[in-house]
Amino acid sequence: MITEVLQQVLNGLAIGSVYTLIAVGLTIVFGILGIAHFAHGSAAMSGGYLTFILTERLGLGFFPAMAVALIAGAALGVVLERLAYRPVRDAPQINAFIIALGLTMILEGGNLLLFGPDQVVIPTPYQRVYTVGGLVVAELRIQVMLTAALAVAAMAIFVSRTRAGRSIRAVAQNRQAAVLMGVNADAVATMVFALSSALGVIGGALVGALLAIAPGVGEGLVVKGFAVLILGGLGSIPGAIVGGLVLGVSEALAAGFISSAYKDVIAFLVMIGVLLVRPEGLLGKR
Amino acid sequence: MTRIDGRLVARCTAVLAGLALCATAHAAQKELVIGVSDALTGPGAVYGLPQSNAVQMAVDDTNAKGGIKVGQDVYKLRVVAYDDKANPTEATNSVRKLIDRDGAQYLLGFCCSGPTSAVASFIGRENVTMLVGNAAERAITAQGIPNLFRTRPPADFTGSAAGAFVAKRGVKTIAVIGSLDVSFYSQYLEAFEREFTKKGGKILAKETFGLKDRDMTPQLTKVRALNPEALLVLGYVEPCAFVYRQAVELGMKMPRYGFTSGSEEQFLKVATSEQMEGVWDLRPTELTVSALGERANAYVAEYTKRFGIPPSPSSPYAYDQFYVLKHAIEKAGSVDPKKVQDAIRSGGIPPEAIMRYLPVGSAMFDENGQAYTTNGAFQWQKGKWVYVSDLPSDPVAYSKYLRSLRK
Repeated sequence: MITEVLQQVLNGLAIGSVYTLIAVGLTIVFGILGIAHFAHGSAAMSGGYLTFILTERLGLGFFPAMAVALIAGAALGVVLERLAYRPVRDAPQINAFIIALGLTMILEGGNLLLFGPDQVVIPTPYQRVYTVGGLVVAELRIQVMLTAALAVAAMAIFVSRTRAGRSIRAVAQNRQAAVLMGVNADAVATMVFALSSALGVIGGALVGALLAIAPGVGEGLVVKGFAVLILGGLGSIPGAIVGGLVLGVSEALAAGFISSAYKDVIAFLVMIGVLLVRPEGLLGKR
Repeated sequence: MTRIDGRLVARCTAVLAGLALCATAHAAQKELVIGVSDALTGPGAVYGLPQSNAVQMAVDDTNAKGGIKVGQDVYKLRVVAYDDKANPTEATNSVRKLIDRDGAQYLLGFCCSGPTSAVASFIGRENVTMLVGNAAERAITAQGIPNLFRTRPPADFTGSAAGAFVAKRGVKTIAVIGSLDVSFYSQYLEAFEREFTKKGGKILAKETFGLKDRDMTPQLTKVRALNPEALLVLGYVEPCAFVYRQAVELGMKMPRYGFTSGSEEQFLKVATSEQMEGVWDLRPTELTVSALGERANAYVAEYTKRFGIPPSPSSPYAYDQFYVLKHAIEKAGSVDPKKVQDAIRSGGIPPEAIMRYLPVGSAMFDENGQAYTTNGAFQWQKGKWVYVSDLPSDPVAYSKYLRSLRK
């Protein structure tokens, strides 16, 4: 029984690490710029599709392909911020909300047009299976968890240890004060979207390798990402990390021990339960 | 008296004769709309799109040979295909459009049970003929709808043969994972379980997944803890391919049996050949060249040439539908759907049919409008589905059982 529970936890951590990547991307945009970037999941899927094209058609390795897609994803983030969100930055919040919904439709339609309606699975060479003390873990799942951990760690180091990261934190704490202190808020907004989209693309590529990319997958991921955002605490990066893993593990345990038919419902019940006890989320500020 | 110029008379006669000839030719050359409602996008498209392509291919071939001759008339055929997205509401709308707007009296396709059942619920009131392909839900032909015929046998016809086969291979305990909330998979399982338990077997667990689920590791982990001798996987190709792949990733080495009808290409989009090695598919003897012979070979070659990819194993159900219809129209000497239905009911297996049908008496379809193919056991060996053996099946007994379900 204990082995089974641990195995389910391990299963949940793999998918939870993808939720974490998506949620961290969302939380930095929301926490710093106050934008609910619904198109994040679709942008992540675009990156996943690009990774697929680069591996399947051009023969690149999985990680080199993901690196190229990551750069393209960051560029897409910059374009979205400059063309879609910046013009409405000082307008009522509903404008950015509507733009986010419109962008989701545009990106989903673009993905459908460019990559077709079929689901795709990104091929990887990671086929080995390891057994440790009755627990079985596939090499691919280890790669997914490690990649997600590295990406989040790199982002955290960038934000906490670099000059650019200091600017981001300054804008997050008090935008007007940061501007008065000479921080270029426009550059920060661009940087935040580039970072967020790059993280999303890593999430999209990993989900494409672990499971599949298909129309609608991005929308599902962004819903989970926002759930994690609320569960972990709005704008909290550590909260997004913990929330993503909690959601992934809750889903696996619910599917394994209760019913797979209700795994989403049960996972969201866990979220509601946490919010009843801690309305600010697991690691949100009181 | 006016003199009539002989040359003028000759010219007028020639013109009139020409006009008459044109008029005759115009009357003889008619168009018949063949309506197709099928899943062309979404999860059901792995079955629906190849079916739609197969109908188009058969129609193009027939048109190239001059069309269908009915008495003095020759009918050229035109396919109008709509995407029902494997959704009952979309299918109802598609069929209504085909009947009301496009004037289609012959409806083909129908790969998925949900939408097909929705259409079957009202088609009996329409003056059309409906030919169902891959949709395997038993109730579709259990109702005795007079203008509905199906080329694929119901799922439980295959399920009972599969249960006997697995028990015969010495399996005593099995765990099931599948789309068990989809009725034709539950009917397959019900028949499987009846035969399997009759021979001393036991089902340890029944785990469900949704049509769009891709992470089956929680259910597989639960199943693995029960230590079954084998796994039975029931569902659409893509989720089943994930089950096969993730079972290997969880170190599950027991034999894996399934009911999916996917082609090699469809499985290889999700799992590697190594992950698929040894998997059994217990299904109607569908398009497997080694099982069906030369005509199937030619079909695969032509389809691959036309559409750039090989056909799915179940696509000939739709190809055969068209030839059932063609021969029935020719036999009836009319395009009146009622006369054509009579001709289908009494007709034999068309010579162009790809699948191996088991006739009931001398006819291809039984009194329920149901045709039966042989069932087969296929195994994945080195990147290919290999036909291993037939699964013994009794269409006459099943036909009586199906008739007995009618209220």
